[in-house]
Amino acid sequence: MTAAKQWNNETIETMLAVQGIRLAPGRAEKIANALNAATVSGSLPLEFESDPTGYALALERCKAK
Amino acid sequence: MSDPAALSLAAAAQALRARHISSSELVDACVARIARWQPRINAFISVEQHPPNEGVPLAHKDMFYRRGRVSNCGSKIRRGWIAQETSTALSRLDTAGMPQIGTLNMVEFAFGPTGHNEHWGDCRNPWNPDYITGGSSSGSGAAVAARLVFGALGSDTGGSVRIPAAACGVTGLKTTWGRVSRHGAMPLSHSLDTIGPLARSAEDCALILAAIAGFDTKDPVSSREAAGDYVLAKKKLRVALSSDWIERHAEPEVAAAVLAAARDLGATLIEVEPPDFDTLSAHCIIVMQAEASAQHALWMRERPGDYSSAVRSRLESGFAVPAAAYLEVLRLRAAWLERFCSTTLAEADLYLLPAMNARVPTLEQTGPRGGADMPALLAELTRLTRWVNYLGVPALVVPCGFDSRGLPIGLQLVGRPFAEATLLAAGHAFQHETDWHCRAPAERWI
Repeated sequence: MTAAKQWNNETIETMLAVQGIRLAPGRAEKIANALNAATVSGSLPLEFESDPTGYALALERCKAK
Repeated sequence: MSDPAALSLAAAAQALRARHISSSELVDACVARIARWQPRINAFISVEQHPPNEGVPLAHKDMFYRRGRVSNCGSKIRRGWIAQETSTALSRLDTAGMPQIGTLNMVEFAFGPTGHNEHWGDCRNPWNPDYITGGSSSGSGAAVAARLVFGALGSDTGGSVRIPAAACGVTGLKTTWGRVSRHGAMPLSHSLDTIGPLARSAEDCALILAAIAGFDTKDPVSSREAAGDYVLAKKKLRVALSSDWIERHAEPEVAAAVLAAARDLGATLIEVEPPDFDTLSAHCIIVMQAEASAQHALWMRERPGDYSSAVRSRLESGFAVPAAAYLEVLRLRAAWLERFCSTTLAEADLYLLPAMNARVPTLEQTGPRGGADMPALLAELTRLTRWVNYLGVPALVVPCGFDSRGLPIGLQLVGRPFAEATLLAAGHAFQHETDWHCRAPAERWI
């Protein structure tokens, strides 16, 4: 996933305000910039059926034999 | 015996069994050193001069709960909070003959990599108090390095055992996710949190790990994988590394020390492409911020002003992490782990790299008045540690040299899930051939 590039001070302040979080002065812009730069790698093939709980099984599979 | 506190944990335990020394003599030796060093390095939060149990004394990061005792978690919010239960790790150490003689300084709520703490005072590096200890297990690194205790517990969510181990010149083990019960330990990010020892050698870490590892009914995600005795068997190991990457990205003194240490391991070295540190680290940050913010949501709504500005800022960021991004990186985690084990470790037992690319920075460089370079410097501190937490695999840091300013340099070894015994054996073999782990900071600083 590539994060949408429309985050700005107002959207950040609103998003956090609805969660009851008061931002320290100057923080909204920094968070917006970080979000606009953020990406989640889509480079690995991922089965549609995979879910986060599969990680525990992967730990077992990847142990030294 | 000149100063019993100079013994390793293994040697002290042996001396106790042989009745060459008593438990109270060991405690007294540690307490005397604490009295001399504490004003300079601020490693301790509390000292227990008469622990109820006998054995080799340890002290622990102030986030492991003990029933009826205060656990401040490095914070203003939990200042004076009294625990109702004892953590599984502490209970197991009590049983194993490793009593606790104090609680140690830490970064507020374990959420930061340097060792600064505006509520309890900054912890200072015993090699030079102008420099950071690393964090978040700052007091654990400093106390072990200054020989104030024989070992300590820390927690590692993004590097919090390994960074202080590297910066203070001690041995630190980040355990496999689930290897050690987290019951009764302050949570930060449940998908990433691990508990591990900091001590003077791999052998000492093995003794602590043997006491605390294993399934616990009170921690449902603790592993049922059998806990080994972590015997330090000698075995010819194959170690993967990315020499070109290290030479291009690490500071020259760090690269030289780490590559020389690779040769001293006595292992078969295999050159490989490096893992995608930056992508994996970015995924770690998404998980850590989202989970830490959820953990702190109530206090962040009701008393945000009681956090330091640095920790409050990190927590604010987590409330802006999209839920889909958080879940996507957790879905990807198994695939990234399998890629690491099937490519980077395809022909090797371990992967070798620096604990930190940069030399240990000063408190001023990384503190509130750090200037424009400070964010990049902080990011660099954790660049080579966070990716390990995202994968959930174990890693060992051992001292492998000193820079031209006299600050330690750390070597990091990363293994497959539950490969703690292999890591400790490799560290022990390295420490059999070198003496970096035997060096202690001079008392000229105190």
